[in-house]
Amino acid sequence: MLKLATREDLEITRKRLLFDRKKIDKTLIICGGTGCQASRSRDVIDAINKELFTREMDTTVHVRITGCHGFCEQGPIAVIEPGNIFYCHITPEDAHEIVTRTLKNGEVIERLLYVDPVSGEKIRTESEIPFYKAQDRQLLSRNREISPASIEDYISAGGFTALTKVIDNMSPEEIIHEIKVSGLRGRGGGGFPTGRKWAECREASGDEKYVICNADEGDPGAYMDRCVLEGNPYLVLEGMMIGAYAIGATKGYIYVRNEYPLAVKHARAAVQQARKLGLLGEDILDSSFSFDVEVARGGGAFVCGESTALMASLEGKVGEPHAKDVHTVIDGLWHKPTTLNNVETWANIPSIILNGAGWFASKGTKGSKGTKILALTGRIKNTGLVEVAMGTPIRDIVFDIGGGATDGKAIKAVQTGGPSGGCLPVDKFDLPVDFDVLYEAGSMVGSGGMVVMDESSCMVDVAKYFLTFLQDESCGMCVPCRLGIDRMLEIITGITEGRGTAEQLDLLEDLADTVTQASLCGLGKTAANPVLSTLHYFREEYEAHINDRKCPAGVCKALIEYSIDPEKCTGCGNCQRACIYGAISGEKKEVHVIDTALCQKCGICRNECKFEAILVK
Amino acid sequence: MLHYVNVNIDGADIKAPRGSSVLEVAIEYGICIPHLCHTPGLTDIGACRLCIVENVTNGRTQVTTSCTLKVQEGMAIRTNTERIKRLRHNIAELLVAEAPNSRAIQDIAVRCGVKNVRYPFHNSNCILCGRCVRACAELWHANAIGFVGRGKNRHVERPLGLREEVCKGCDYCIQLCPMTITPCDGPMKPGEEYLCGKCESQLMITEDVPDHCVWCRLGEGFNCGRYAGIKAVR
Repeated sequence: MLKLATREDLEITRKRLLFDRKKIDKTLIICGGTGCQASRSRDVIDAINKELFTREMDTTVHVRITGCHGFCEQGPIAVIEPGNIFYCHITPEDAHEIVTRTLKNGEVIERLLYVDPVSGEKIRTESEIPFYKAQDRQLLSRNREISPASIEDYISAGGFTALTKVIDNMSPEEIIHEIKVSGLRGRGGGGFPTGRKWAECREASGDEKYVICNADEGDPGAYMDRCVLEGNPYLVLEGMMIGAYAIGATKGYIYVRNEYPLAVKHARAAVQQARKLGLLGEDILDSSFSFDVEVARGGGAFVCGESTALMASLEGKVGEPHAKDVHTVIDGLWHKPTTLNNVETWANIPSIILNGAGWFASKGTKGSKGTKILALTGRIKNTGLVEVAMGTPIRDIVFDIGGGATDGKAIKAVQTGGPSGGCLPVDKFDLPVDFDVLYEAGSMVGSGGMVVMDESSCMVDVAKYFLTFLQDESCGMCVPCRLGIDRMLEIITGITEGRGTAEQLDLLEDLADTVTQASLCGLGKTAANPVLSTLHYFREEYEAHINDRKCPAGVCKALIEYSIDPEKCTGCGNCQRACIYGAISGEKKEVHVIDTALCQKCGICRNECKFEAILVK
Repeated sequence: MLHYVNVNIDGADIKAPRGSSVLEVAIEYGICIPHLCHTPGLTDIGACRLCIVENVTNGRTQVTTSCTLKVQEGMAIRTNTERIKRLRHNIAELLVAEAPNSRAIQDIAVRCGVKNVRYPFHNSNCILCGRCVRACAELWHANAIGFVGRGKNRHVERPLGLREEVCKGCDYCIQLCPMTITPCDGPMKPGEEYLCGKCESQLMITEDVPDHCVWCRLGEGFNCGRYAGIKAVR
């Protein structure tokens, strides 16, 4: 493509692209995101392309390899347009049938359709699937419209119209006002009003200013940012360009962790393509606005999600935070005013500019506007990325979108906000996804992780898991965070191993409070949340561990004992063969017994037993 | 010409030179804020968190370290509220439980009111205050030692574990290290650590000194502004 010198050039290119694409009558949208690639979507794509080529259908059928659609559990997934036919769990062997039956004759292959785990029915189209239906997909739905490797796709899907709008008609102050009115708050975890951040950065004095996109997402089980940056890097780029125009920045950075190779690749390709088209560089689209973006890779330290640590890392120093008595909007990267926003925040900007602040503010609650992407995982039927309007009750997300618990177990709690968030019990499920409400309840929206736990999860063990994660990920610079987390973990490990005392709970609370108040950066200030929230809502579980030396959920190995129910045991011998420690003995067709001295409590026998005869107490 | 700003620390109105930290100003004016990682002449990193204060500016109360907080016009600082005392006590307790084998740390613990330690003792040789690393980098521009690792694996190490040619052998790192001051009764063996608490006896004689300065060895070794002052009085 030629360089786009003016705004008219962009419009002409868009029209030409749309005209070219009219010839395509069928589109196979197939997910090439990291989740689906893990379930062999690359092989499926190759097989389909080969099949199309041999049948000479490769000119009429357009195969669009897109970013993540969100329903990773069902991957690899594909949607066939027109018809909106949704196939899941595709294997390379299915390619022949998909091409010859569906793409050629329009037949639907029943075998590949999605089966709703709640009703057991087969569902034909994507729009009818309850997982998608209950969502409000403003950002995620755009992933399927474009191939992340093609800026043409983005332009033909209406890309960069928000950029031309701000260059043509809006002053920086008007943009900032619009963002302020929209009520957009930082999606990375802090929930700081984006408009206010921009305004402060614009007012800060400095000859050079920077914008940074924070894609250093490290929460266990959460991948919202990866999905957006991987699936639609242009949207993030356009958001950053608008932000830079509003703030007066000339240089931007996308800080993405190197553990996201596809996101790095797509972001780099997007920047290169935009540069080639003249959308980045000097005097963009014949205006006085100059801006360029660099993609910087991070080493994958969780602490580098903290603004000051991220900036230190960008400067080439060790990624450690420093005191933030002067905010980074005034004294940031290389001591210049810097605006740091999360991927999702940047991705929200273009649609706010195009549709107006009122449109954005119409979704959500009083204090939290718009939609939020959540990574829904845990013991539920449907897992994946979901996007809902702010204010949606947790219950709706867990039961309507997530489909409720697996194996008929009762859901006990949900952990929101990643390691910095907290656990909320099932009686708090009517709380809406709202920055302030969840914070008051002792948890947080955070970056959007949502782990659902059922009765087989031990809350003390959950707190222990997050503390172990944080102990590894703390930079270790300040005392409350380094030693505080270490001691909290020491106490909690003691509790799970049956060495806990009642006084330790008070000590734990006191220590958690100190870590929260006295730590240097956001990691430390929120590190105690998993402990505080589980102590608050599930104190009886801690007490059961301490007073009765029992783990109610049967997780903590030191406090449980395996035995065989003599009434249920049929003497099939499955458990005996499975036990690698030789702890199970018994004659065939007679009741087996577990030698507790030899038993290592691995739980293999329990999984092997078909009669639920293995008891855990 | 020096520019001054008006700050209020613990009720005292102070004219402080712009650009100085709250801790420096407080020490200068005899308000003793316990501190460990702060060393005059080196960049402050706020690692030990002992010098935390409440910054009550613009109607918001914020807990922050006074060593990294630069004075600003109209700032109001509270160094010894109940909340700060409790936090400081807990931090000092964490420190002394981690590295009891130093008179400097033991003194700080007593000064911050630690009467008993609620955790089992670890006998660490380093509390990662970073004095040595900063002195090596900033005073001598040698960078012969630095921090390696993250979280609980963080430690001070020479590049690749080798004694480097860049080390000038100045021994400044050793002089600044709080762990080199042995407890009065000699080094503690692993498993036999205790909270010394001997300096508590001195709290009585120094009652007239603000903030119960125990005249700690740390101050003497590390040029604590208070130390010289008290010595002169006595």
